[in-house]
Amino acid sequence: MYVIVVGGGTVGYYLSRDLVERGHEVTLIEKDARRADWLETQLGSIVMRGDGCEVRFLAQTGIERADAIIAVTADDEDNLIALQMAKRHFRVKKTIARVNNPTNVEIFKTLGVDEAVSATDVLLAALEPPLAT
Amino acid sequence: MVIVDRDPNAFSRASTRGVLTREFKGDQVVGNGTDVDVLRRAGIERADGFVAVTEGDNRNIMASQIAKDVYKVPHVVARIYDPERADAYEKLGLHTICPTIDGARHIEKVLLERESR
Repeated sequence: MYVIVVGGGTVGYYLSRDLVERGHEVTLIEKDARRADWLETQLGSIVMRGDGCEVRFLAQTGIERADAIIAVTADDEDNLIALQMAKRHFRVKKTIARVNNPTNVEIFKTLGVDEAVSATDVLLAALEPPLAT
Repeated sequence: MVIVDRDPNAFSRASTRGVLTREFKGDQVVGNGTDVDVLRRAGIERADGFVAVTEGDNRNIMASQIAKDVYKVPHVVARIYDPERADAYEKLGLHTICPTIDGARHIEKVLLERESR
């Protein structure tokens, strides 16, 4: 699979590393120049510096042939816009978002994102048996 | 009329400058305008109009889409500085205002008027 990851923070870094280890082709997009340089020392040439919300930049990432795009920045609005551009402009089949505000899970789905993952929801689900309310 | 701003000081700054005077009958809600709970507190469910004019293009786009597509607010306008992004979302049916393009056009108009004199 060819997977594009938007956001090179802790989540984006480990996610990209694991995807590469599993044999997938990956492009990791990071906006911050210094962070992008560091990521490149760890992951090599899969790192591209740029804004994943910009159509013109996304066009340089080979996005037309991407099987999936995963947006994992710390800003929900940035994740949403990157995925909407990927979906509506480049027809990427699978769009997956990390949402930082759990109420955005439903919002993102309404606004066209295929999968929205909230760490809060995952952690709550890990509390087994569920806490009585 | 309700104003939402995530910075509580923004309201007092506005009144100090005389922008928000005592004649302003609207409400003020402190919080992030892309947060559904905050928007509900501002009464988005019964809003006839919604305007997103923060400094962040993406925040404005997201807030406007929540208003338009989730809460079906009839009149929604988003300010988007980046011309490409404004164009892309205008095509997707969002009513956008791009001050960058509008400003450039205005400057051009003034310049050409002067020249033709």
